[in-house]
Amino acid sequence: MTDVASLRPLAAVLVSAIAIVGIIASYRRPNLREVWTILAAVAKFGIVASMLPAVLSGTVYVTDMGTIVAGVRFALRADGLGILFALLASGLWIITSLFSIGYMRGLAEHAQTRYFAAFAASLSATMGVAFASNLVTLFVFYELLTVATYPLVTHDETNEARAAGRKYLAYTFAGGVAVLAGAVVLQWVGGTTAFTPGGIEALAAADPVVARGVFALLIAGFGVKAAIMPLHSWLPDAMVAPTPVSGLLHAVAVVKSGVFGIARVTLDVYGPGLMADLGVGIWLAAAAAFTLLVASLIALRKDNLKRRLAYSTISQLSYIVLGLGVGAPAALVGGLLHIPAHAFMKLTLFFCAGAIHVETHTDDISAMAGIGKRMPVTMAAFAVASAGMAGIPLLAGFVSKWYLLIGSVAAGGELFAIALLVSGLLNIGYFWPVVYTAFFETPEEHDTKPVIEGPFGGRQSARADGGEEHPAAGWARRSWRGDETTWFMLGPILAAMVGAVALGIIPYQAWFLRLVEFIVGGL
Amino acid sequence: MSELLPLAIVLPIVASAAAVIVGRVREESGWYLALIGTAVQVVLAIGIATQVFGDGRITHHLAGFPPPQGIQLVADGLSAAVLSVVAVVGFVVLGYTRGSETHRTAFYAGYLLLVGGLAGVTLTGDLFNMYVFLEITGLAAYALVASANTGRSALAGLRYLIIGTIGASLFLLGVGYAFVATGTLNMMDLSAELAAAGYRSRLVLASFALIVTGLAIKIALFPVHTWQPEAYASAPDSVSTLISALVSTAAAYAIARILYSVYTVEFFTAVPTAQDLLVYAAALSVLAGSVLAVLQSEIKRMLAYSSVSQFGLVVAAFALANQTAFLGGTIHLVGHAVMKGGLFAAAGVIAIRTGARTVDEYADLAAEAPIATGTFAVLGLALVGVPPAVGFVGKWYIALGAVAEGVWIIAAVILLSTLLTLAYFARVIERMYFGMDVPGETAAVADGGRPTISPKLAIAVAAVVAVIVMGLGATWFASLLEPTMEFLFGL
Repeated sequence: MTDVASLRPLAAVLVSAIAIVGIIASYRRPNLREVWTILAAVAKFGIVASMLPAVLSGTVYVTDMGTIVAGVRFALRADGLGILFALLASGLWIITSLFSIGYMRGLAEHAQTRYFAAFAASLSATMGVAFASNLVTLFVFYELLTVATYPLVTHDETNEARAAGRKYLAYTFAGGVAVLAGAVVLQWVGGTTAFTPGGIEALAAADPVVARGVFALLIAGFGVKAAIMPLHSWLPDAMVAPTPVSGLLHAVAVVKSGVFGIARVTLDVYGPGLMADLGVGIWLAAAAAFTLLVASLIALRKDNLKRRLAYSTISQLSYIVLGLGVGAPAALVGGLLHIPAHAFMKLTLFFCAGAIHVETHTDDISAMAGIGKRMPVTMAAFAVASAGMAGIPLLAGFVSKWYLLIGSVAAGGELFAIALLVSGLLNIGYFWPVVYTAFFETPEEHDTKPVIEGPFGGRQSARADGGEEHPAAGWARRSWRGDETTWFMLGPILAAMVGAVALGIIPYQAWFLRLVEFIVGGL
Repeated sequence: MSELLPLAIVLPIVASAAAVIVGRVREESGWYLALIGTAVQVVLAIGIATQVFGDGRITHHLAGFPPPQGIQLVADGLSAAVLSVVAVVGFVVLGYTRGSETHRTAFYAGYLLLVGGLAGVTLTGDLFNMYVFLEITGLAAYALVASANTGRSALAGLRYLIIGTIGASLFLLGVGYAFVATGTLNMMDLSAELAAAGYRSRLVLASFALIVTGLAIKIALFPVHTWQPEAYASAPDSVSTLISALVSTAAAYAIARILYSVYTVEFFTAVPTAQDLLVYAAALSVLAGSVLAVLQSEIKRMLAYSSVSQFGLVVAAFALANQTAFLGGTIHLVGHAVMKGGLFAAAGVIAIRTGARTVDEYADLAAEAPIATGTFAVLGLALVGVPPAVGFVGKWYIALGAVAEGVWIIAAVILLSTLLTLAYFARVIERMYFGMDVPGETAAVADGGRPTISPKLAIAVAAVVAVIVMGLGATWFASLLEPTMEFLFGL
């Protein structure tokens, strides 16, 4: 690998930070304000993408900005893993911005300037997380990401939103403290916190008890944002945020900064070899397997669509963590590939939930009987993405899960492979009812849903207004040509869905698999 | 040019006397005199700092009498750093006092006396002298606290006077014991003589205990902090900005100076119990201060208890007695002065603009006073330790020092203090931005009034800039401090 000094990683971080000035300054002119967001998103994606070809041939772009604390450089390095995360987050920000415009205007939301400014700040911090060259720099941006996303979680300014914001801050800052503690001890025993593909050598010579302790601290810290159980409970609550936030931040940028942190720790701080020596990988994989099964089971009981999606996210994030914990090359490929795969699919699903909310103000699945008539394209995209989640071939979820299964079996973790297969079944179990009720049921005639409505069901909100949960005359029929909602929302839904399909059919040509194999090959 | 040292002490004190005299003729002249005095003080401090950081430690023998008989003034990296903060903050806060009705000649005389006393504490190389300057600082501070001309501030000033005097007396008693044990008051001389007298001798141990306890009262560590919340809360906003930034800072400087230049690191090696007691007492202060801060409903009292907690961190860092922690303690000492001063300044502006002084009254203020609340939020987060602001850098070094020393409980307390600080700032930030009422029917576009800048607000904004610049420049500062640390740690 050759290091090349370049300002491009820094530019990728700064471009949206600079856009904040424009966004705030043009708060009286919403159209101009949104132009800033789109410009920043396109520019950010362009900068990141411009680094991709050279990175794949072994170049690492480095921006060194001096020393932050003694012995620790404040430096950005765009290596393979960083580019993977940055490419994904910046690319999806473009379509999320378009969707945001449709969503926020469709609902005539308040404080839109704050919303778009905080969104841009979040993306700056995300780029910093992606390109951080050591644990301390990563921590810097990890904390800034928490601060930048807080106004988005509390956006509604209701008691529920404030409570969710408090919980969010408490969980993520506590995680940040664990990361900081881990970084401090790592600096002390290893003499460095710089990411080194294959692991920091000095760490291998350190006291195994201390090394395990640091590993536990770092994983627990990043595990908060990666929503590993039992550290997950902030995520379903954070669904009170506007749906584009739930989509890009709480399915892609924020939660995956946690997963990404775990990837850095496992691949570039400890390395698969040392993890096997210390015997910590198996515990990480076990925690992930537990999370992905239990979260899927909880998702079955959720009637609120966004909450069901949140538990699905918790479950799917643990696929990635499972791959990292198992540590076999194929499992690593599967885990890392699941980062973009899950992103495209889950973003599609959240966009669909958002479009449904804007058009019909429907949030509960039990109120969605027959909604496929009203929003045919949206629900079709939902069906495609949820099939991908379940791991059905020709869709993104299949490719990554295939590698995960091969890797788990190769590493002797048959139990993990079984957990993955069971989770696939559970995925069908909680996604199919949504599709089924949308297309094949009507408000008047639908099957009983014991898991939701039974005595131990998950339905929380008993309606006080007499149960009028859908239009009396049933949903109006809309055509398939897109008059069900604005193209600001429909376009991004289809774009994200196409991404999920492309990753399933042509993973190499869609760059991501090539990038992932390059990363794993470099360890 | 070692004459700069006495000049930096004498100038503000002379200006203070001049303010009294000129004030009899023209009442409004006090502010201008203070402005000139502190401006020159800034120049002197910069001169001293450039010399110290360029050529190393400076000593000056007052009137040419050599120590141990004569009085010695010393400036090293630590004192230059604290002196610079004293001078700059003293100058800047004048922008805050301008145009105030209650601030007359006597106020500015006290103000200049305080700056002079603080400069004296940082520059003296003589233990008894340090007592004198601590008393000058204290007397000026008691008067300034009471200058709000309310019953509450008078009572707080009186309480501050009584408790502060107890602290000073304990300090003086400790100095007496040290004198009995060694027969000298010069710090350099004492460090050698104390070693000769034996660190474990009763006189030396008693002197250490008395001096440290006296200073703990002056710093306001838990549980001897009781004068401080009311003093900060009831003083005029300009005074709380000034004393929250400087007075406890100077006392914490004094404890560092005495630990390292008088008793030295070897004392702790010989008497580990003393070190443990001080470290754990400081850690207790971190925890208790935070918990008490969460319980407060008045913003200024909350910030005051926050100081109890933050100075716990600083003292713990100095007491850990290794280079990393010492560096962290120094950075946090300087950084905290700017952050806390800025917070009090912002709170003052918010109170002027909106009348809000309690946590509950801060609800939905973000739209009314966007810059002031924004400043408050950023400084709060900086104090929490969100990088890249200076609060993070200090904590990093202190925690690294604690880990290197193997005191895991302290390391955990330091890291936890992040969350504890968050606990009291988050509730204010949440109220400011996300209100407590149902969201109003605000138009989709306009979210915020037209922000305006006043000199008072500019001070708070300057603190924000300084906090971030200091965070980014901390490595440079660390390299400047390198020779001082080598000297103090005897390398």
